[in-house]
Amino acid sequence: MADRSLDVLVICGSLRKGSYNAALARMLPGLAPAGLALRSAPSFADIPLYDADIQSANGFPAGATAWADAIRAADGLIIVSPEYNWSIPGGLKNAIDWVSRMKDQPFKDKPVALQSAAGGILGGARAQYHLRQSLTSIDAVLFGRPEVIVTFAPQKFDEKTLELKDATAIDLIKQQLAGFEKFVRRVAVKG
Amino acid sequence: MPNVNVLTICGSLRKGSFNGMVQRALPSLAPEGMALKPAPSFAEMPLYNADIQNSTGFPAPVNTLADAIRAADGVIFCTPEYNFGIPGGLKNAIDWVSRLPNQPFAGKPVALQSASPGPLGGGRVQYDMRRAMVFLDAFTLNKPEIFIGSCAGKFDEKTGELKDEPTRGFIKQQLAAFASYIAHVGRKG
Repeated sequence: MADRSLDVLVICGSLRKGSYNAALARMLPGLAPAGLALRSAPSFADIPLYDADIQSANGFPAGATAWADAIRAADGLIIVSPEYNWSIPGGLKNAIDWVSRMKDQPFKDKPVALQSAAGGILGGARAQYHLRQSLTSIDAVLFGRPEVIVTFAPQKFDEKTLELKDATAIDLIKQQLAGFEKFVRRVAVKG
Repeated sequence: MPNVNVLTICGSLRKGSFNGMVQRALPSLAPEGMALKPAPSFAEMPLYNADIQNSTGFPAPVNTLADAIRAADGVIFCTPEYNFGIPGGLKNAIDWVSRLPNQPFAGKPVALQSASPGPLGGGRVQYDMRRAMVFLDAFTLNKPEIFIGSCAGKFDEKTGELKDEPTRGFIKQQLAAFASYIAHVGRKG
């Protein structure tokens, strides 16, 4: 792992096409250091709402299995998510709830970095702290600082192209991605 | 006391849910004048996506749940904790109705209950719920809190009936407090 490029999965917490967080996720490959290869996670849009009776009767839905497989295969994860009602979007939390029930639980020992963008002054920080709480329960290894919290998002993305144009945010993201590369190489479970 | 109508929302979808058992126990523990009924299910709601909302409007089960919340004098959540937080399905339902005009939780008295097999009885999910409810302008009852820890032994194995007397006592106290709270802060007229 010392030399090879790291495979990092990017998960977006919003399902809408024009999402600022999806726009942020699309920016990441252009801001990543040479040692990080980023790819988008399969969508969680078609995973049904968690119901233990479904799990017992039919097993895990294909969408949940595909999502978990992608997480397992990655060296690390970056979750880029909006905040809904001061917390994690239900759809993203539902995907986490499903895979948390799997035997080879995919978040276990997985390095994870968090990013959020939002229209307000807190930039989705509360969703990030709830994610830290939930991911602790499933033994993910959470990257600390710098945090990427993009406040007042509509002012920082190009209205038409949705490209992130704020120099301060861009610089912070570069720092986080560079820090995350070192973090993943340091904390990864050798196997 | 005048009649108070309270809607109960269970955060779990599985049939054998302990929180479903708690929800079903509530009518027998309610003070006189408080009528409790289970909310319509959120099981059929799609995952929230603003593009769905903009192209086809709010899905029918979202409107049905919101109407039921609006019509109630108060709402009680009985929910498990998933991964130290709110179950995704329940949060998804909250996310949907939060986008409605005439947002149904605004000014609505809310009480929280949780049951889990662990020692904390779902303590963490309740604090997440409180935060989401602040954003929605709900009026959340403070005390007494109902955390049913090590819950597996507190229900009848066959009937699912809540048989733990101390727990029944706590719930009675909360429901009585909730009735007073609704009388105090609830929408007049």
